[in-house]
Amino acid sequence: MIPRYQRILFWSLLGGILLMAAFLLHGCEQAHKRLTALDDATPIAAPTSASTEDVTLYLANDADASITPTPEQIALPQEPTLRARTLLEHLLSNYALPSSSHPLQSGPAVDDVFLLEPPKSIPSTKGSRASRREPGDSAQHTGKMAVINLRGSFIDHHPSGIQVEALTLQSIIGTLHAAFPQLDEVRFLVDGQPHDTLAGHADLLHTYPAIDTTTHPSPPEVTDAIQP
Amino acid sequence: LTLPPKPIAAVLTLALLTSLHLPAQQPTPRTVILLDPAHGGPETGANLDGHLLEKDLTLAFAARLRALLTTSGISVIATRDADPTVPFTPDQRAEIANHAHPPPCRILHATPTGNGIHLVTSNLTPADDPEAPHTAIPWDTAQSASLPQSLSLANELGVALLHAKLPVILTRAAIRPLDNLTCPAVAIEIAPLSLSNSDPTPVSDSAYQQRIGQAIAEAVLSWRTHNPPPPGAAR
Repeated sequence: MIPRYQRILFWSLLGGILLMAAFLLHGCEQAHKRLTALDDATPIAAPTSASTEDVTLYLANDADASITPTPEQIALPQEPTLRARTLLEHLLSNYALPSSSHPLQSGPAVDDVFLLEPPKSIPSTKGSRASRREPGDSAQHTGKMAVINLRGSFIDHHPSGIQVEALTLQSIIGTLHAAFPQLDEVRFLVDGQPHDTLAGHADLLHTYPAIDTTTHPSPPEVTDAIQP
Repeated sequence: LTLPPKPIAAVLTLALLTSLHLPAQQPTPRTVILLDPAHGGPETGANLDGHLLEKDLTLAFAARLRALLTTSGISVIATRDADPTVPFTPDQRAEIANHAHPPPCRILHATPTGNGIHLVTSNLTPADDPEAPHTAIPWDTAQSASLPQSLSLANELGVALLHAKLPVILTRAAIRPLDNLTCPAVAIEIAPLSLSNSDPTPVSDSAYQQRIGQAIAEAVLSWRTHNPPPPGAAR
């Protein structure tokens, strides 16, 4: 026969163990939530005394291959090249958010942005892909050219694919065009050098026209000629 | 072992009739299609499903597509049939395609991002007058003359894929060698298939690839019907 006091002690100890287990599990869950929250690479806005201003970010969506202009308010420096670089860094940092519809790895992406005046006359560019122009382009360009120098680490970690790479470029070009309407063309460098592709597909030797890149792809149309 | 004279005469008459009849038949024009399984060698392309590389998937899918197209009576030229140590550059791939002069060209890609099939055409500006005689075609913008046909081809492919109940996105991009091709050209990028209430189907799924291949083969046959090869074209 077990004495009564021993039974009480046993059940008290068992209750204590269960309570401690529940407390530990709760603590583990809290710690897990804290660690998961650390993965959110949301950049923390630096304290600034400058006033914010309206900008339009051209945000990409992988699901439907769309580019949508989205207004935002951010503080930007006044110097044009710094302004362009800060704007693009802000745009690309949006894609590092966990909720991004066009996920890219976090980290610095843009090394420099150069805004160049157009040359007086364009020299012969026979055999050069770097200065490729499309039919209908005039020989004289009145607008500026933006040269975006991307970081090699950004290229190395960019997802590979035609659509995903094209969306990144369109997003950059559209955002830059909205902030700098005087821009005429955009070119890309990687670590200061010409680079063939972004991540194996999108052509980085191409000179892109600085245009509104808003895109909402339409589905294929069944025309009379292709009725089944 | 001599045959009676009547059967010999019958056989000779039949042979004569056959020989007279054969030249009168027009050979059935065969559509030639160029397949370019992208990447190869050290240029691996995207990393799909952890261990599968884009260069291997495009090669396997090209083999599957070749079988389906050949069965449908379409001749196939491919820029690669194996994984070479030193792959062709994009310019060399374009050279192969432009010399073969096939009516349609397909560039095959795969990606771990997005959903369904992405049909990509060049983002060049269409030429003002594609029928105008050219003294030379600029290499970097060679596709501009064929762009209207490329867009029509992409649309036809898209319709066939929609009929196969596969999600399709028509998009445009600057990629090589697409911009350097003189033939109507479309890049086909296969992405995982994500349907509602189900796990995504990976690009390596053979049933998924087969559905895509069959839809492409149907679209090529349809394209051949609506765009018969011109006289003197590759047969």
